[in-house]
Amino acid sequence: MNYFDLFSLPHSFELDLAQLSAAFQTLQKTAHPDKFAHASSQEQMLAVQKSATINDAYQTLKNPLKRAEYMLQQRGTDMPSEQASFQDTMFLMRQMELHEMLEELPHADDIDGAVNEANEVLDSEYQTLFCQLQQLIQDNNQASDKIACEIVRKLKFYQKLQLELERIEEQLFDD
Amino acid sequence: MALLQIAEPGQSTVPHEHRLAAGIDLGTTNSLIASVKSGLAETLYDDENRDILPSVVSYQANEILVGYQAKEFSISDPENTIVSAKRLIGRSQADIEKKYPNLPYQFVGNKNHPDIQTRQGPINPVQVSSEILKSLTKRAEKSLGGELTGVVITVPAYFDDAQRQSTKDAAKLAGVEVLRLLNEPTAAAVAYGLDSNQEGVIAVYDLGGGTFDISILRLNKGVFEVLATGGDSALGGDDFDLLIVEHIVEKAGLTRPLSINLERQLLQQACFAKEQLSNQNSVSINLALAENNNVTIEINKETFNTLAKPLVSKTLRACKRAIKDAGVTIDEVLEVVMVGGSTRVPLVRSEVEKYFKRTPLTSIDPDKVVAIGAAIQADILAGNKPDSDILLLDVIPLSLGIETMGGLVEKIIPRNTTIPVAKAQEFTTFKDGQTAMAIHVLQGERELVEDCRSLARFELRGIPAMTAGAAHIRVTFKVDADGLLEVTAMEKSSKVAAHIEVKPAFGLDDTQITQMLKDSMSNAEQDMQARMLKEQQVEAKRVLESVQAALAADGGLLTEQERNDISNALFQLVEIAQNSDQNPTAIKDIETAIEHVDKLTANFAELRMDASIRQALSGQKVDEI
Repeated sequence: MNYFDLFSLPHSFELDLAQLSAAFQTLQKTAHPDKFAHASSQEQMLAVQKSATINDAYQTLKNPLKRAEYMLQQRGTDMPSEQASFQDTMFLMRQMELHEMLEELPHADDIDGAVNEANEVLDSEYQTLFCQLQQLIQDNNQASDKIACEIVRKLKFYQKLQLELERIEEQLFDD
Repeated sequence: MALLQIAEPGQSTVPHEHRLAAGIDLGTTNSLIASVKSGLAETLYDDENRDILPSVVSYQANEILVGYQAKEFSISDPENTIVSAKRLIGRSQADIEKKYPNLPYQFVGNKNHPDIQTRQGPINPVQVSSEILKSLTKRAEKSLGGELTGVVITVPAYFDDAQRQSTKDAAKLAGVEVLRLLNEPTAAAVAYGLDSNQEGVIAVYDLGGGTFDISILRLNKGVFEVLATGGDSALGGDDFDLLIVEHIVEKAGLTRPLSINLERQLLQQACFAKEQLSNQNSVSINLALAENNNVTIEINKETFNTLAKPLVSKTLRACKRAIKDAGVTIDEVLEVVMVGGSTRVPLVRSEVEKYFKRTPLTSIDPDKVVAIGAAIQADILAGNKPDSDILLLDVIPLSLGIETMGGLVEKIIPRNTTIPVAKAQEFTTFKDGQTAMAIHVLQGERELVEDCRSLARFELRGIPAMTAGAAHIRVTFKVDADGLLEVTAMEKSSKVAAHIEVKPAFGLDDTQITQMLKDSMSNAEQDMQARMLKEQQVEAKRVLESVQAALAADGGLLTEQERNDISNALFQLVEIAQNSDQNPTAIKDIETAIEHVDKLTANFAELRMDASIRQALSGQKVDEI
């Protein structure tokens, strides 16, 4: 069953997260194994399956990148694997620059300022790509979907950079 | 067995029956059992009016002692008296020896799940825990005046798969039905009734004797969702005692090694000092170093706070990480629940208050709050509160993954994923013509295999020979609502499959449990048969109740023929279950009859579940869909 249908939501990338969360809770209250703690083994197993599906659907729709990936998959677009090579050399160059920027952070004169600036740079580049993704998914044709897949991959690079930055921040500011 | 009744088709079935249920806090040092009595959850007391049962089991020549009686032997007979079995359960010998190098026990048998050599022979920690569970459930059945339908047992949020599985095995060995394993912090939040009329983020700060846990929960319309858990399995109130001991040793100018007697004296005095300093500003410690050589040492609150501060700060750093993992901010935290005896330390309370910027909840005894929450949940799960709106959604505490080339771990289910969950990932072969694949299941956050906990290894054989990278092996991880893992692997083109319940690696396997059960019974074979028969009868009763309720509610989804077939199968089941006492093959016969009913109702059950899921969102009745 399509995850959007499961939660009675329109098939749209723009999602009302509060509505999603409310639907999720209502469904879990129906299907969670705890509601079947005293039922037969057959019903208990069924409940575990349904509850797992609902959990997976919720996690998928809640996270914008996973949601995008899911929608693209449902439209029959194949996500290139993580190892597949990247054609966009400009993008790769930029990634290397950003990596260097993060590596330099601990040596900055004003560490606080440098960390803030790094956060802003990553955020703003992420947002630019994300807006493109929103538009492409809305366009909903073969060509746009293919580009959208590439952008999802790029956004994942930014997510990794953000994690890396958080790790560095923790090291710098924890006693 | 009481006669089973069958209602007219279409009629509502069993009138509501109050089922006895209890919550058990199976602690490292102490254990408790609680139950809901006339609407109120309270801990249950033994004949001597004590609710705490020390988690100690002593194996004497002719008897097994549990609790206070056992504790009396902990100093005179340490090899045969097992304390803190919770630290040993579901752990390998290497693990135990690394973490607790000074235990008095002699470990024997399988190194993955070692036994302790006692005068009654080798004893597994699972058996030790089961003795504690037996003692508690016996107390409850006496106090409540009937047999328990089931129990909720709490486990630390940090417990991994093997530890959870072993806890469940202990219950099985004790003959107790586990309705659910519940994370201790979640139980504490339930105890404070935070589910009523509140929405927001709750932090549960649990500082026990030997462990620290922090959990961040989100509460919304009666749903508890565990957003993140964290903590330190080797940090607790005992560490405060040790710091005081070191302080006294230094102040008194003592040099190690000291006699065992003096070490024990020091520890007792330190614990005493810590407790006193909760209510007064200074305390005097008297030590008898030798005859006519007494030393008095003064410790004031300020000194204690200086000593304890680094430990408290360490807990707050774990809080910070958990808050971040949960994706929330400190300002969103609505309530902080305090659990564990060590939260009585004023410094702990004040530092927690400062960090979270709100006064923590301390009105329920921090030693009992977990058992009370477990009792409330047990009451609900047993079906005594059909209108209850609470639903506890737990997460797995540690990531689960498998080993890939180069000793790296590929995570399949990241930590803090809501359970139950099923996730699959595809892998491929490394060499041309490779026909087998070793699958190594791991738990932990680190990238290297050697830094993670090995849960199980199994092999997928009979993969058709192909070029490297051509085979598609799909590995599926399933985690149930108790946090227990099952792994399957399948080669997609040939459908060759292998499967493992992640259990034998660090827990006991089913044959071992059965053997232990037999060993614990005087008339082994006969008692075993009686017990298995009883289990089948209970399952028969559940099937009957479930299916009847289903027919009454949604019988309209079936054709008349289907309804008749199901009714006939139920009659058959009832007949076999009722006349089982003289029937030598009763166990097998009931099992077969249940399978028959299951087969006939499989589609119906799925249909009902799907319909109820759809109607949950639309608010319609099932029949109208």
